[in-house]
Amino acid sequence: MSTDPLMLVVEDVSVLYGNYQVLWDVSMQAHAGQVVAVLGPNGSGKSTILKAIMGLTPVRSGRVIFNGEDITNRPAHQMIELGMSMVLERRRLFTGMTVYENVMLGAYHKSIQKHAKERLEWVESLFPIIAERRDQIAGKMSGGEQQMVAIARALMSRPKLLLMDEPYLGLTPRIVNQIADIIRKVNAEGIAVIFNEQNVKLSFGISNYGYLLESGRVVLNGTGEEMMNSDVIRRVYLGE
Amino acid sequence: MNLAIFLEQILNGLITGSMYALIGSGIALVYGTMRVLNLAHGEFYMLGGYFTFYLIVQIGLSPLLAIPLAVAIAFCLGALIQKLTIEYLIVRENWAFTTIAATLGLSIVLQNAALLMFGEQFNTVPYYVQGVMSIGDIRLPWQRVLIFVVALATIAGMTWLLKYTRLGWSIRATSQDRDAAQVVGIPVRRIYMICFGLAAALGALAAAMLAPINAINPWAGIPILLKGFVVVILGGLGSFPGAIIGGLFLGVVEAVGVQLTSSEWRDVISFTLMIAVIWWRPWGVFGTK
Repeated sequence: MSTDPLMLVVEDVSVLYGNYQVLWDVSMQAHAGQVVAVLGPNGSGKSTILKAIMGLTPVRSGRVIFNGEDITNRPAHQMIELGMSMVLERRRLFTGMTVYENVMLGAYHKSIQKHAKERLEWVESLFPIIAERRDQIAGKMSGGEQQMVAIARALMSRPKLLLMDEPYLGLTPRIVNQIADIIRKVNAEGIAVIFNEQNVKLSFGISNYGYLLESGRVVLNGTGEEMMNSDVIRRVYLGE
Repeated sequence: MNLAIFLEQILNGLITGSMYALIGSGIALVYGTMRVLNLAHGEFYMLGGYFTFYLIVQIGLSPLLAIPLAVAIAFCLGALIQKLTIEYLIVRENWAFTTIAATLGLSIVLQNAALLMFGEQFNTVPYYVQGVMSIGDIRLPWQRVLIFVVALATIAGMTWLLKYTRLGWSIRATSQDRDAAQVVGIPVRRIYMICFGLAAALGALAAAMLAPINAINPWAGIPILLKGFVVVILGGLGSFPGAIIGGLFLGVVEAVGVQLTSSEWRDVISFTLMIAVIWWRPWGVFGTK
């Protein structure tokens, strides 16, 4: 376990869609500077837990604590100010707007607006494509390029914690490697990352800690090494 | 048909069309951001007409003061009504359809409230400007020219707002992706309220400009709503620029059609056009799939 301070604590969180319960008392933690992977098959609730943390889906019971503050069910638009940012599943860019407009909307919040210029320079240094394609309509870019714009948009607030919902979804293997490099780069800037993914091998290349969800419950957690050596993972997910 | 009359009809069509554009853009703004088909939109037009009438005729304010005031009152009323009614429905998962019933009910309530408060008689206000502009053989009352100028200025202002201001960016972002907008820190529920207010204000402005020509009564909003629907269907539901082009286009088609047939055919022409568009291009003549 890391000795860095605890940043995020998820305590017994349950989420229901209508009468259908998708998360059952899920607990997890993330330390500052860590990369945490949330694994699980389709429908395991691995996207829902990120949305619940971000305030995009209501938490029925349990608590979410971020840097010591209880943020359970706080509206999503207030998270930016606290230092949390999110890359949504399937990029979710503002597809009719330009790359520049998309990225600058990442600095929409009043507390960030005054730093917008320096932040733009920073994300441009991480993703040169932002400067090169400034005036392109975001919806006309390839999936990998859109993912970079989406990450750049989420980084404009210089978050302490970045949530990434299925960052590899629908991307070719070459682009997946690029995005993995970007996650490392982002983490090297001191930003903690929590992402979810189905592919176990892909996930532990870059994460220090992982949680395995099945049918809305945490069934396993541990360091990357512990996870890779666990019987469940080896049998079910690696097919050994 | 001689050329001057034809050009005059085109100009008249553009003038009517600019009003259709104001109406339609309000419907588009509300649908675009919150995916609510506001069946009470016509009533904000009707109320805007009454506000103008009372401020000018009863209180005796100058139109220069009365019109902005009527528009401002409509904005506040629209935002307040959104906050008290639709707000509760759209935040619930899969409850969006209820807004159709809610806005229809709202429309009936507002019509009957107007009937109780203002009575059923038709009210008009005096012309804001007198006289007739003539260029060559083309003659247009200044009142109509004023309507056109105000509409164009408003459309330009709204376009600027959407393109270059912080509020405009957040409206466009909200209409394109509500979750993504929230994630970057946009308070989408406040944006909904503002858009509803803006839509009401645009409707009220149209009524204020038309008040000298089109008398106001409690049911004045109904034909306006129907024309507004034709406009947004032409322009692609939820598209602001589409509503502007759709409005101007509808105005010209009606004017030319009336010139070729007779004025009783006006609504037949516009609704036939609407049905044809729904049939052939349901995403709108100027919209994209």
